[in-house]
Amino acid sequence: MARKLVVCGVGALGSTAVQYLRNVDAELRLVDFDRVEAKNLGAQWFVKQSVGKNKAEAVRLQLANFYGAKAEAMGVRLGAHNAEQLLADAALAIDCFDNADSRLVLQTAARAAQLPLVHAAFAADGTFGMVRWDERFTPDREDVAGQATCEGGEHLPMIGLIGATLARTIQDFLARGERRDYLISLSGVVRSH
Amino acid sequence: MAILNITYQGQSADYELAIDFAATDGDIHRIATEVVRTGSVRGLHVPDLPQHAFTNYVVDRLEGPDGEQRIYLRPKVPFGA
Repeated sequence: MARKLVVCGVGALGSTAVQYLRNVDAELRLVDFDRVEAKNLGAQWFVKQSVGKNKAEAVRLQLANFYGAKAEAMGVRLGAHNAEQLLADAALAIDCFDNADSRLVLQTAARAAQLPLVHAAFAADGTFGMVRWDERFTPDREDVAGQATCEGGEHLPMIGLIGATLARTIQDFLARGERRDYLISLSGVVRSH
Repeated sequence: MAILNITYQGQSADYELAIDFAATDGDIHRIATEVVRTGSVRGLHVPDLPQHAFTNYVVDRLEGPDGEQRIYLRPKVPFGA
């Protein structure tokens, strides 16, 4: 039976990482309640035909249509009431949420289930990001509520770099059980643990 | 003693002199401001760095890949999706 990876949040980082996970020896479960808006096309892995669709379903369709890759889409918001169900049978949870509250819910559920969890996150100005395993991760809150972020697309190359680093980190975990952390800046990608 | 890594405006670099691993966040902010202004961090010299440039930054104290103590001063990373 193939291992199951649960990708929580398939916006900028999540949808980008999924592209690079399409051929891993694992099943993908995608969790996101949000819908694709036209403004997302500049920074997230969606196409014009995806606008209006649920993001998890849109990524599932793109994987199927472009690559013949299968995934499971769960178009719901992960919360304390359904986290156990959404993470059921998982070998790894992947946090690409866009806010600290959702990250904390996922962290609590994964720790309760003793489920490995890796986080990916980036700064509002798009110059810095990191991939970090849960045992060393504390969610950051925005400096101010509603802080602007990646929607304009100017940070797309950095999003690609962080997403690719996350996918490689997951590959290493699946292959050898390694849990490596990385800092990603305009200077490059540096292993931090 | 620990190595201090500073990330600012997309550039990331180590400060070569080891500092106290137990230094407070405020101490780290002050040290970083000074060494970035003076050019003591190779590849990260900002002479006109604002006094409060690191106010909202996060200080992580972690064990590095080779077991060494490292302090990371970095921007917040609240976003993902």
